[in-house]
Amino acid sequence: MEATAKLNLPPPFEEALGRHEREIMRFLLRMTRDQNDALDLFQETWLRAYRAYPRLDSEQGLRPWLYRIATNLCRNRARDNLRRARVISNGDDPTGGDHHAAFAAPAGGAHEGVIHLRRAIAGLPHKQGQALMMRKFAGLEYEEIGAALECSADSARASVYQALKKLKAIR
Amino acid sequence: MRKAAKSTTVNIMNQTLKDEILMREMLGDDGPLGMESGPDDAAVDAALRAVRPKLARTLGRARRPVARVGIVDSPVGRLLVAESARGLLAVQFLEVADAPDVLAGLKEGFDLVEDPQTATRIGHEIERYIKGDMHALDRPVDLSLVRTDFQRRALMRLRRTVPPGSVITYQALAAAVGAPSGQRAIGNTMATNPVPLYVPCHRVIRSDGTIGNYGGGVPRKIKLLRAEGFSVARDHRLPASSVMGHLVTHIFCRPQCHAAIRADPAKAVIFANADRARSAGLRACKLCRPA
Repeated sequence: MEATAKLNLPPPFEEALGRHEREIMRFLLRMTRDQNDALDLFQETWLRAYRAYPRLDSEQGLRPWLYRIATNLCRNRARDNLRRARVISNGDDPTGGDHHAAFAAPAGGAHEGVIHLRRAIAGLPHKQGQALMMRKFAGLEYEEIGAALECSADSARASVYQALKKLKAIR
Repeated sequence: MRKAAKSTTVNIMNQTLKDEILMREMLGDDGPLGMESGPDDAAVDAALRAVRPKLARTLGRARRPVARVGIVDSPVGRLLVAESARGLLAVQFLEVADAPDVLAGLKEGFDLVEDPQTATRIGHEIERYIKGDMHALDRPVDLSLVRTDFQRRALMRLRRTVPPGSVITYQALAAAVGAPSGQRAIGNTMATNPVPLYVPCHRVIRSDGTIGNYGGGVPRKIKLLRAEGFSVARDHRLPASSVMGHLVTHIFCRPQCHAAIRADPAKAVIFANADRARSAGLRACKLCRPA
């Protein structure tokens, strides 16, 4: 009597962690431009990933899912940072209600055009902004962005296209 | 001091350079940004080195326990088995249950590791048991998949007090866990028993003497009861020759014995025969002198 091994279990969580930790860290460092924030959000992303891991039905679903969580966390963190900054500077917000972490970094020393770009990206509709971040900063394929944003790949491509068009027009 | 100021100037210059590249790449096309505008490999490595111990602690607090799972072809059919560090969690007949469904249920509470050895071991134990080794299934069980305390109590009570070669009625088991009219609840509990064979729900029968239903199918219940010495009739009735065993006095009687009739039914089980009762540690009644 021998055990018949055909369970098709998903790989252990550590394997998924090992496979994606570098790119997630790179993504977060790029998005937050702040090592402490990146480390915090890295932990939070993987903690959520661990909790949801039993419910992810395929290994392919994991990567876009990780980016969606990381992107959302970055947005929330940027919003919180701004709120804090606004309280400190008494309502004077140099980035104009920016809610994208990558461009919410302290304005000191930043290129004038970048500040401009930050404002522009902050003004984008939520989905376009997210799709743009995932495409430019994480280098995701449109299929993956679609999976993360729960839309089709074509729709994701259109979102990025629209976002870039708007940014160029503003410039 | 001057050194610090100089490095700040360099930082700002670097930042300006990076920003230029960023701008160009941002608006160039829809391709991903290049390496120049992002953190370099060394920065990513340093960040990972810094965060790994913290992450290990964070995850450690959220950890689910590990369950080893495997599939084995046993004498009672193909089984999916799962075992935690505390004991056997699940034995599921795959002719009745779907492996993906069972696994999905397990994954919610456990990190699953495929382990053919565990499955093989369980298969061997069941083989020994079917061949007559009535203590082959004594390993600890982990009832954390059982939903309610009542159900857990009933299953533990059944396992502890109804030895191989004996059966108990749904009604008597209900009474034994303090719910005299709860035979239906007991029926449900047995139907959803996650660890059949090891928690012997096949030893629970109906009050009219028929063997009743079984989660793994009635033919399997018959097979298991036969392996324990019962001769199950065509109408699924256990023979009248069975003897009553009293678990407090450790005495067994003929069913007609007036001492047996007076005994608390919640403390009584029905043995296949006198030998089974003796091997469970009971002695014959001196009034009715069962064979």
